[in-house]
Amino acid sequence: MKNKEIQGIDLQLYSKTLDNGLQIYIVPFSNVNNTYVTYSTKYGGINNEFIPINEKEKVKVPLGIAHFLEHKMFESEGETDIFNFFQESGSNCNANTSNRKTSYLFSGPNAFYENLEFLLKYVEEPYFTDSNVQKEKGIIEQEIKMYQDNPYSRMYEGLMFNTFINHPLKYPTIGTKESIYSITKENLYTCYNTFYHPSNMFIIVTGNVDPEKTMEVIEKHENKRKIKKISLNNNMIKINEPDKVEKEEEIIKMDVTLPKLAVAFKINITKLKMNENDIYQVLLNAVDLKIGTTSLFTEELRNLELITDTFDVTGVKAEDHLVIIVDTETNYPEKVFDLLMEELSDLNIKEQEFNRRKKTGISGLLFASDNIFRINSKLASDIMERGNIDYSPIKTIKEITYEDLEYIIKNISLKNYSKIFVLPE
Amino acid sequence: MEYKKIIKRPYNIHFIKTDKFKKVRIKINFKTALDKEKIVTRNMLSLILLDSTKKFKTKRLLDIQSEELYNVGIEANTNISGSYHLLSFNLVYLLESYTEPGMTEKTIQFFLDFIFNPNIIDNKFDETSYKNAYNYLIEDINSYEDNPNQLALNNLYQTLCPNTGLDYKNTGYIEDLEKLTNEKLYQYYKELLNDNLIDIFVVGNFNESEMQNIIEKNFQINTLKAQGTTHIITHKKYRPLPIVVKDKKNINQSILLIGAKLMSLTNFERLYTLPIYNSILGGTADSKLFKNVREKNSLCYSVSSTFSGLGSLMVISAGINAKDFKKTVSLIKKEIKNMSKGDYTEREIEQAKTTYIASLKEIEDNQSSIISIYEAHEYLDYALINEREENIKKVTKQMILDLNKKIKLDTIYFLEGGKTSEE
Repeated sequence: MKNKEIQGIDLQLYSKTLDNGLQIYIVPFSNVNNTYVTYSTKYGGINNEFIPINEKEKVKVPLGIAHFLEHKMFESEGETDIFNFFQESGSNCNANTSNRKTSYLFSGPNAFYENLEFLLKYVEEPYFTDSNVQKEKGIIEQEIKMYQDNPYSRMYEGLMFNTFINHPLKYPTIGTKESIYSITKENLYTCYNTFYHPSNMFIIVTGNVDPEKTMEVIEKHENKRKIKKISLNNNMIKINEPDKVEKEEEIIKMDVTLPKLAVAFKINITKLKMNENDIYQVLLNAVDLKIGTTSLFTEELRNLELITDTFDVTGVKAEDHLVIIVDTETNYPEKVFDLLMEELSDLNIKEQEFNRRKKTGISGLLFASDNIFRINSKLASDIMERGNIDYSPIKTIKEITYEDLEYIIKNISLKNYSKIFVLPE
Repeated sequence: MEYKKIIKRPYNIHFIKTDKFKKVRIKINFKTALDKEKIVTRNMLSLILLDSTKKFKTKRLLDIQSEELYNVGIEANTNISGSYHLLSFNLVYLLESYTEPGMTEKTIQFFLDFIFNPNIIDNKFDETSYKNAYNYLIEDINSYEDNPNQLALNNLYQTLCPNTGLDYKNTGYIEDLEKLTNEKLYQYYKELLNDNLIDIFVVGNFNESEMQNIIEKNFQINTLKAQGTTHIITHKKYRPLPIVVKDKKNINQSILLIGAKLMSLTNFERLYTLPIYNSILGGTADSKLFKNVREKNSLCYSVSSTFSGLGSLMVISAGINAKDFKKTVSLIKKEIKNMSKGDYTEREIEQAKTTYIASLKEIEDNQSSIISIYEAHEYLDYALINEREENIKKVTKQMILDLNKKIKLDTIYFLEGGKTSEE
């Protein structure tokens, strides 16, 4: 077991890759009561076309299957109800599915080892039957409807659909009513066997634990499974995504009072000689400095009474492309959109502003570092986005320079976009 | 954790010392008896005071300064707390060992300037800030109904508990905002400083005398105030047969809410018996409602029960298809009836107690939750963590059955979706 300090935030990380390929990460916190464990697979909403394990031909499975599978992992063959098991010790259990990852989790101050063993057991023993698969469809249909009534979900889904042409990010993680009704027990086993192999999974433990003993418990359990480590890269299909967007504009009419506006900028980054994560972070900050809460642009638009708040800046990484999403609420969507495009035609920002953002990035890490939930998710995003743990996150922030920013803005443009307005019916 | 309350009469200081965190959190509450018309005025203050100060004339400059002070977090919000209204200011900052010497005082001064040094010109707030706050608030009021869950809950309260304050919208009302002027707002601000009961909560690793000095230097208020009374709302009447109220909205998923009044609760029931009852009925993913309405009948994605000890209410909610209204109501009623017959085991009770105690332990890991415990202690006379842990163990099945007799189903509210499932 490796034991190394995460520099600058006073945390110690214990890690090990087991013989079956499962990666374990443990960060002990001596002064908290609670412990948080996530057991994740690098498999999510976008993995709909792949070569199943031990097969040669590519298959296509229904949209929304990763999320459906997550729901169905809460069925077990035995008598024990999974929620009930965790409830017995006053622990919380849950799961979530994103574009690229599915996680099963629990947290609580009691019965840590029992909970840990139970988590391993239920995630490693699927139990899908025709009737339990059928039963889930009504529940997920209601979940889909709940999202459809949320204007932000609708806007985001519309934007993704219009921005991408071939990339599976085009479709929502939850799928559609039609797609989920076509899911079968056999589909679920195909996905499970391919993506829930230990070599595709990792466990992160943060909280009041003994790292040696925790590792021992996990390792002992995993060794009993007698599974061999494999390489997984060969079942992924390369996605060929054009630079242009599917649709440049759309208007959604909904039962809302205040119109909403969102723009997705699709940027090809294959020519940039810089790491994708750094480009992404720099761009998000640059756009936010241009139009966000500390910008003159927001101040002017508020003074003109065109907006009352500011612009949110988020993004999505899509292999060859980065998508930067800007949204706001306004009674004057056309006008605000024009002003926004004009403002973003020049991404130059002052060095002083850029350095201030580096300082807040470092403070943000420190704020998060006494929180077991935030550190757990920081480690998960390191694994998913960088492919490894960043042991010197503060240094990583410090090393991005103003010259990097200048290089990026010289080599990209925000001319390629898709916009969406949500207007009252 | 070490707790100390310092009563200064114009204000109370609550020091909660713990070295578990790398940051310190401060919350300052200004409270006064709830007055429907004044909700917008107080919301305006929460916005305008954060929009500019004497030293930093625009929100942009304030936001830049917050970033310069190592990303310090500052928020203001308002909240209806039973029979009182709270205007709260929150600060969270990193310990000096992670920033630089002198930052504590500089940061707290920056924070207190929002409250005590607003940008006043000729007995008015800065006009631009007034306009910004006004525009923001009017949008907030107008878009209240965009959130179907919020709309449904408020509509339920209109029938379940009208004119109790629970039925007031936390945004306030347009007609009251139209009556407000910048001059009146400034007058109200001065009243607020002098007349409102003020509680200052500080949690984290800080130097008590340094903290007390900074507070005393800034809080130059001399009014002597009587301590407040409890915030808890009680109900005198309930409907012997629940009334059914239906509305329509153009949404995909229909929302069902069942509201019950809790009559003559004791504080012990509010704090201990009620959470146990709720946990068994619908408080968890292992509850009777979740298992029978969602898992066995696939009627919904969400179904749960929540309670408000403060408002003496319990509300069961479910997101369903419009056609399943009758079936869902009867399934929920059946579960409530089973509860009244005592159709649950000692083991389920023990499990609910374990959950309660576990959540107390989790509270100690989170500064905002710690403050909530001390607020409830101050405002509702609720026990602190250790005492709660002892008392929850005393709850018996007989106590839950006795509580059951006090739960009166009063209003069934249905916000029916207008879109068909074929769309």
